[in-house]
Amino acid sequence: MVEFKNVSYTYPNGQHALSKVNLDISDGEFAFVVGASGAGKSTLIKLILRELTATQGEIHVNGFDLNKLKPRKVPELRRTIGVVFQDFRLIPNLTVYDNVAFALRAIDAPTKYIRSRVPYVISLVGLAQKAKSYPNDLSGGEQQRVALARALVNDPQLIIADEPTGNVDPARSFEIVDLLKGINACGTTVLMVTHQHDLVRYFGGRIININTGEIVFDEVIGGADEA
Amino acid sequence: MRPNSVKYLVGQGFRGIWYNRINSFASLCIITISLLMVGVCVLLGANINEMIGAIEDKNEVVVIIEDGAPDNNITLLGEQLAENDNIFEVTFYSKDEAWEEMQESMTDEEKSLFELIEDNPLPDSYKCRVSDITLLDETVAEIEQLQSVESVSASTEFASILISIRNIFGVLFTALTAALIVVCFVIISNTTRTSVYARRREINIMRYVGASKSFIRIPFFVEGVALGTLSSIIAYLLTWLAYVNVYDTLSQDFEIWTIFGVNGLITWSDIAVVTAIAYLVAGIVISAIGTVFSTRKHLNV
Repeated sequence: MVEFKNVSYTYPNGQHALSKVNLDISDGEFAFVVGASGAGKSTLIKLILRELTATQGEIHVNGFDLNKLKPRKVPELRRTIGVVFQDFRLIPNLTVYDNVAFALRAIDAPTKYIRSRVPYVISLVGLAQKAKSYPNDLSGGEQQRVALARALVNDPQLIIADEPTGNVDPARSFEIVDLLKGINACGTTVLMVTHQHDLVRYFGGRIININTGEIVFDEVIGGADEA
Repeated sequence: MRPNSVKYLVGQGFRGIWYNRINSFASLCIITISLLMVGVCVLLGANINEMIGAIEDKNEVVVIIEDGAPDNNITLLGEQLAENDNIFEVTFYSKDEAWEEMQESMTDEEKSLFELIEDNPLPDSYKCRVSDITLLDETVAEIEQLQSVESVSASTEFASILISIRNIFGVLFTALTAALIVVCFVIISNTTRTSVYARRREINIMRYVGASKSFIRIPFFVEGVALGTLSSIIAYLLTWLAYVNVYDTLSQDFEIWTIFGVNGLITWSDIAVVTAIAYLVAGIVISAIGTVFSTRKHLNV
């Protein structure tokens, strides 16, 4: 659950990134966030991840009140969120398996759990055959699926995908969104930021359009895939 | 924290040393050299102190008693000398003893010159041993104030030379230690920074998956402390080697020690354990504090 109430954010240099944003994303929803570069999409994500703190207004994410969240509790919030980036951010000298396991090791998960959970998630994204490969031996689409597996591995309530298809060729982009849709179907909330309007038009669903720091459009549209 | 995680984090720390090996090696060398310099300074200082101690043991203040002073006064003076805080031993040395001793040390020819003298011209005296050579000047001044004292003779010059050497070492040691601690901090900070830079991707991912601050910092801490410990061990071994060699060379040359009136340096076995502990503690503490500071500075988590 993500809830923004009258949220504004101004960068220390005085640049207004978001103004009076109201947003409510319920558990289990799938929403696209669209908008031009510099519209405030990245700021929105940084606020959800508590990399930034709102200069005004209230933010609630997965039951955490971000205004009142103490810095040392931030890791707890982040454990409920899985993040996927445009540039994958995989560790090149670790295998696919270790890249995914890394996310669990970093949060002090039991070894036994890591051993059973990691192969399962890797097979979920369809890379069971490539568990021992290194990121550089994989295609962009495959690398993004590894990143997705890493985001999924600690079973987050919310997945934030920041332009996950930006570095993936168009045909593979659809596969990535399909995977996200599949994850969403299992009950995980998904928030996907994208520039690719063809994807949005194709899949449809809730579209949140941000323009110069304000939400200018927030509605559910039908997708081509439903036709 | 789970035992497996501890193993993992320690492993990550050692992996960091290897990934960052050029910097690790540089900091290893610099910490080792710094520890060595401070160590050599301390050991030199300790040996000089030991010498001063030996000289203090032998150093005598001779209090010459006024000729013709009544026995009462002589006894009183002895008591007063014994009461002085800096004097731990007072021996009366009569003019007859002095005369005999002088006769014994003379050749027959010399004796013949003194045969004409009927009266013993030597004075009665007290021989005093002082406990703190640095207070020698004050003690001599105090004695001179006492009744029936003709004069006081003490080798204050030699003592003051030794004391100034000791003071120079004290200042040198303090300045050197301060400077080297700063150098160690800078180099550790730099090593940590490059290590953080080399692992920025991992750190970034760790932040996003919700790793706690300590989880992110521990490998860097392990890395720093491991380097500090290794440096202490190397510094210890080098000191051992050097000390034993210098000791052997110097102790074979007895003449040096007869000049000084001291017949020895501190043996290695007397200080081996203390030196080892001092090096380890210094190496670990400096590197631990250094990494804690620099991870705070360079790791924005």
